[in-house]
Amino acid sequence: MKKVDLTTKIKNVIFKNPVTVASGTFGTTGEYSRYVNYNRLGAIITKTITVNPRLGNPMPRICETSSGMLNAIGLQNKGLADFIENKIPYYARIKSPLIVNIAGESEGDFAKLTAVLNKHKKVVRMIELNLSCPNVEKGGAGFMKKRRLIKQAVRAARSETDMPLMAKLSPELGDVLEIAGEVLDSGASGLSLINTLKGMSIDIEKRCSRIANITGGLSGPAIKPVALRYVYEVKKHYDVPVIASGGIMNARDAVEFLIAGATLLAVGTANFVNPRSTLDILEGLTDYCRQQGIRQIGQLRGSFHHVRPES
Amino acid sequence: MYDESVTILDNRKINEKYYKLTFRCDRLARGVKPGQFMHFQITPALDPFLRRPFSYYRVHSNRVEILYEILGKGTGILAGLKTGASLKVMGPLGCEFTPKIKGKKRVLVAGGVGVPPLVFLAEHEKIDYLLIGTKSRKEVLPKKELAKVKAEILYSTNDGSYGEKGFVTALLEEVIAKEGAENIFIQTCGPTVMMNAVMDIAAREGIEGEASMEESMACGVGACLGCMVRTPKGWVPSCIEGPVFRFSQIVRKGCIA
Repeated sequence: MKKVDLTTKIKNVIFKNPVTVASGTFGTTGEYSRYVNYNRLGAIITKTITVNPRLGNPMPRICETSSGMLNAIGLQNKGLADFIENKIPYYARIKSPLIVNIAGESEGDFAKLTAVLNKHKKVVRMIELNLSCPNVEKGGAGFMKKRRLIKQAVRAARSETDMPLMAKLSPELGDVLEIAGEVLDSGASGLSLINTLKGMSIDIEKRCSRIANITGGLSGPAIKPVALRYVYEVKKHYDVPVIASGGIMNARDAVEFLIAGATLLAVGTANFVNPRSTLDILEGLTDYCRQQGIRQIGQLRGSFHHVRPES
Repeated sequence: MYDESVTILDNRKINEKYYKLTFRCDRLARGVKPGQFMHFQITPALDPFLRRPFSYYRVHSNRVEILYEILGKGTGILAGLKTGASLKVMGPLGCEFTPKIKGKKRVLVAGGVGVPPLVFLAEHEKIDYLLIGTKSRKEVLPKKELAKVKAEILYSTNDGSYGEKGFVTALLEEVIAKEGAENIFIQTCGPTVMMNAVMDIAAREGIEGEASMEESMACGVGACLGCMVRTPKGWVPSCIEGPVFRFSQIVRKGCIA
């Protein structure tokens, strides 16, 4: 059997394959280690870290929807100091590059988070800026609708590190193409597309929302076509690395995003349904490449045909 | 903790309320403790999308049983699965009920989905009382399902068609009056309304105990932070830090500091 080279690069960071996990779906330290050998993943993206601990939103926080789920967790996390003290030593033992997802309520927060993480470059290889959480007031998608704040956040992070910075966007912010241009001009190295889409679900017996926060972020296969469209459109306009997320459930989904031009594939909600999703996708992707005679994953990436080939 | 493909040995309706599903699996049966649960992928078709948690009901060598009722789409599909069908099941997940309680009468208070884990506990530990509340006689478990329980079993039904008429909490009040609050330890599982009523009585009487909490769950491994229970140290995922919590560790609505 011919070996398929899945090696992927973003700036100076090398990934042995393009399969990673979407922020917030894989815990912060080893929650899936009974099911997945973390060293086999292309990269690991953490749940969002904020400067101070956040308690998170009231319950209920999640509900199932058609082909997906809503969540309003509220960026619950133990804060930066805990991450440095307790989580960094854990990831230091894992070979896969670590991408830390951060969110803040001000440019100062982004600067501080980045500056501190920058001191741990042996473990932290990239930073993902969560600019589009739909479930928190300050620092969330609503707040960041003020374009000035997005640009300030990216600039603040950039001024503290030379690590690759990936800006995570969603259509909740406004025109994704326009904002993509702005964050790239402000120092982002690439983009993460897309965050969850704000939605809701009503309990018709109680006539109230099935989520305490009223609205939540929709994820899962329900949003895959939307995510795919944004990856495709953004890649058409900007030649920058893209971490794709949005309903990647299996290898076929992953291949679609690669054809559209995605650099890394972040498996999210699928982890909740099948804890081994990432490795199943990795294996399926390898099989697909073999069947298609693809030796290097780069041959597949962005190979979208604008004209339907004659069959 | 494993995610195993299991083949259904038997899946049948045992009374008006409950279905019993049986399969064999070494990994999902080994070392299981009452209170722990499994996470079932009911269909690979992704509709319903998320897995469903079920308490262990009974484990004999590698034979595992769950008891469930049809509450929605997922359990509806589950009830339709035939012998030979296969399912993906994660387990064993979560923590157990405290097995040994010294110097106290153990009172188990069960209702609805809370009956299976407490019957499991009652079969394995020395229990003094098992209180079971149902709507009517039709929902009462067949006697043979409880044959191995040595505790005194008391029933309440909402319509009075079996046991005492009223709620299971009335039975609890009687047991407290008979044994004395200071001599009792409660372990409860059931609908939130029932468990809240049990915890209200426990708080009033100064009785310690444990509740197995039921929250909507996605991942089952502590990653998504969806199934949270409020404790004095903040929100914690019931899938890994629970589902069993001490009463003193549960901060309920209305008493959040």
